[in-house]
Amino acid sequence: MNALLEVRDLVVRYGAALAVDHVSFEVRAGETLALVGPSGCGKSSTAAAALLLRRPDGGEVRFEGRELTRLPERDLRALRPAMQPVFQDPYGSLSPRQRIRDAVAEPLRVQGRWDAATGPARVAELLARVGLDAAHGLRRPHELSGGQCQRAGIARALASEPRLLVLDEPVSALDPSVRAGVLNLLAELQETLGLGYLFICHDMALVRHFADRTAEMRDGRLVRVS
Amino acid sequence: MRAPASAGVRAGATRALALAAVFAGVGLLPWYSGRDPALTVLRARSAEQEPTPEALAAIRADLGLDAGPVALLADRASGLLRGDLGTSWVSGTDVLPSVTAGLQVSLGLMGAALAVALAVAAALVAPVLVRGRGTSGMVAAMLAAVPEFLLATVLLVVGGVWLGWFPTAGWKGPVHLVLPAVALGVPAGGLLGRLAADALPAVLDERWAELWRAAGVTRARVAGGALRRVLPPLVPQFGLVVVGLTGGAVAVETIFAVPGIGRTALGAARSQDLPLLQGAVLALLLLGLLVGGAAALVRHRLLGPGLRDAGLTLPAPRPPRVGPAVPVVLAVLLLGMIGWGLLRDPYAVDTATRLAPPSSSHPLGTDGLGRDVLARLGHGAAATVGTAAAVCALGFLPALALGFVPNVAAGVSDIANALPPVIVGILVAAAYGPGTGGAALAVALVSWPPLAAHAAALVQEVRASRFLSAQRAIGAGPWWVLTRHVLPSVAGPVARHALLRLPGTALALASLGFLGLGAQPPAPEWGLLLDESRAYVERAPWAALAPAAALAVLAALAVSAAAYGASARTTRAARTARTARKVPSRVR
Repeated sequence: MNALLEVRDLVVRYGAALAVDHVSFEVRAGETLALVGPSGCGKSSTAAAALLLRRPDGGEVRFEGRELTRLPERDLRALRPAMQPVFQDPYGSLSPRQRIRDAVAEPLRVQGRWDAATGPARVAELLARVGLDAAHGLRRPHELSGGQCQRAGIARALASEPRLLVLDEPVSALDPSVRAGVLNLLAELQETLGLGYLFICHDMALVRHFADRTAEMRDGRLVRVS
Repeated sequence: MRAPASAGVRAGATRALALAAVFAGVGLLPWYSGRDPALTVLRARSAEQEPTPEALAAIRADLGLDAGPVALLADRASGLLRGDLGTSWVSGTDVLPSVTAGLQVSLGLMGAALAVALAVAAALVAPVLVRGRGTSGMVAAMLAAVPEFLLATVLLVVGGVWLGWFPTAGWKGPVHLVLPAVALGVPAGGLLGRLAADALPAVLDERWAELWRAAGVTRARVAGGALRRVLPPLVPQFGLVVVGLTGGAVAVETIFAVPGIGRTALGAARSQDLPLLQGAVLALLLLGLLVGGAAALVRHRLLGPGLRDAGLTLPAPRPPRVGPAVPVVLAVLLLGMIGWGLLRDPYAVDTATRLAPPSSSHPLGTDGLGRDVLARLGHGAAATVGTAAAVCALGFLPALALGFVPNVAAGVSDIANALPPVIVGILVAAAYGPGTGGAALAVALVSWPPLAAHAAALVQEVRASRFLSAQRAIGAGPWWVLTRHVLPSVAGPVARHALLRLPGTALALASLGFLGLGAQPPAPEWGLLLDESRAYVERAPWAALAPAAALAVLAALAVSAAAYGASARTTRAARTARTARKVPSRVR
């Protein structure tokens, strides 16, 4: 089976410091690769570089066989919807000014897929898919709980019809009772939509339960892949 | 991301360029004003001497005016590089000692005024910190709207003449410092306190503050943390307030006869003493550059890496609750007064009823020529408030645009900021003659930087927030991010700030009128009204109080209307949220 995301010898520098040191891995469709390691080991830098949100300083990132690191931003823009991030801070990743409904509709509008007739129904469907109802759509992020907000963030990511989700500590900011609900939602979405997950996490117990394969990072290097 | 070093070099270059442009602009004043400096200098040197062509030619040769503007500028510039500011055309003495002496006096005055301003600001912020709730900011807005020249006049009359507690003129010791420092410091403190008190409620509602309180952290430490959170975006404003003190200093120094740099510049411009004017303006500019640079450094120290790498998220705005009653009552009061005044004749002179107290035939009394104060106030509103509104609206868009090129804007705005409107007013008036249009141009030229600085700070914070990375991830282009996310986050607060500055702009226009650089008598302009009433403020205080009260009401109106507009929006949002919560669904 072909790899969805293939990262080769990825390098990220912050000034003189080497945050990501020649990291290589791949994520296949329908599987979860967990990237684990202590905080500050370069997990999030790897995620940002794999999504090309930060241009890597070396190495290759292939998505569905296509090399991305040398593409100009304009061409990249067309490919971005297929690979979506979900961030750790549920409140910070949504604009405080937007209603949830509008935040979920935004990818449709940006990508030119918005249709006044079917759009609202599509948004409602996306919200329902993550366990939110229309009333939640009328609120703003600070009027939701952390778990609801993270679900809204996932609905927004799904609106782009991605094939890969990069989950950067998606449940670390949530309390344990809410955490299980969000993880179950992610597992169910993977099953029905066949998504590939790059799951960034520092909790080994969680990883054992959730991931198909695990890549362990320390000081910017991959130390073990299983 | 750009390297900070190259950004610094670019900002430095912009500043140097703007400095050179202003230097040349001042130097070339006689050539584009179409007036002959030789005639002015001749009059200043000896009143008796006839302005014969020979005498004028001799003076021109003496001043080196024959060589033409370019040669004179080059000569002055090379002198500047050697630390020689030239000699005064009027007194024939070296410019440098007068400038340094004036600068020393002004720095002392500004330091004392700053202490007053900080005390006033602290007094305004303290209630918000103690109660944890916002206020409508009425007191602060009123204080910020008090014109320095009016405050100075009132202080001079009350503290100096009536009570006799403080000397009214001169510069001989700390006692001489009190009245000018209070006159300068109170409005600045009002503005600073208002900006901080405006931002604090949202910050005190942030999750970290909730967490600290829940964890039993003392109120004082939470308050300290909130202040530290609020300060970085306000630091550029603080720098601007400090420089703005130099502008207020011109009027205050003139009223109290303090030999500071502002008064020196005003005097030099009036007598067309170009070397002295250049020296004084350069000193003011350098002072502004130093303060601006220091403010940028402090901001960087306070925020540090938080400015980069998506480290900052914005608090959702939580404006204070204001009912519609306050702004409506103020608007009706102001409009009623103006409307009533507009029906009356502002030019009818009646010497039989000079300085009459308020009566049924003259509801606000009469001025020194027996003209009706209410009529002059109503007609003056069109001139002062109308021009100010136009200047604010015109300044809003360029300020917003410049917020996105902070390096360019910072350089130009540091220059514009270090130039008090009064000095620009003098330059414009010297070039085109005093008038309403010139005063409006002068105020417009210098009024945008606080808005641009605010916009730049907001743009920087929004750009550093996490949800903008999320925008890029869905494939949004720069235009989409700009128009849907950055601009809406920035335009609202900046528009509110522009509205907040309307009274200030009206006052800048009024202060130019006060100094005789704006609308000319007998036009009923508010600054002129104050200036005209200054001579008899002891005998007929109502003539001065009426325009001052009108401006204070206008300031309170602008502030309360903006606060009401914002609180109405959040009330709507909260109501929607309450309805939504009634739906029985618990997502857990």
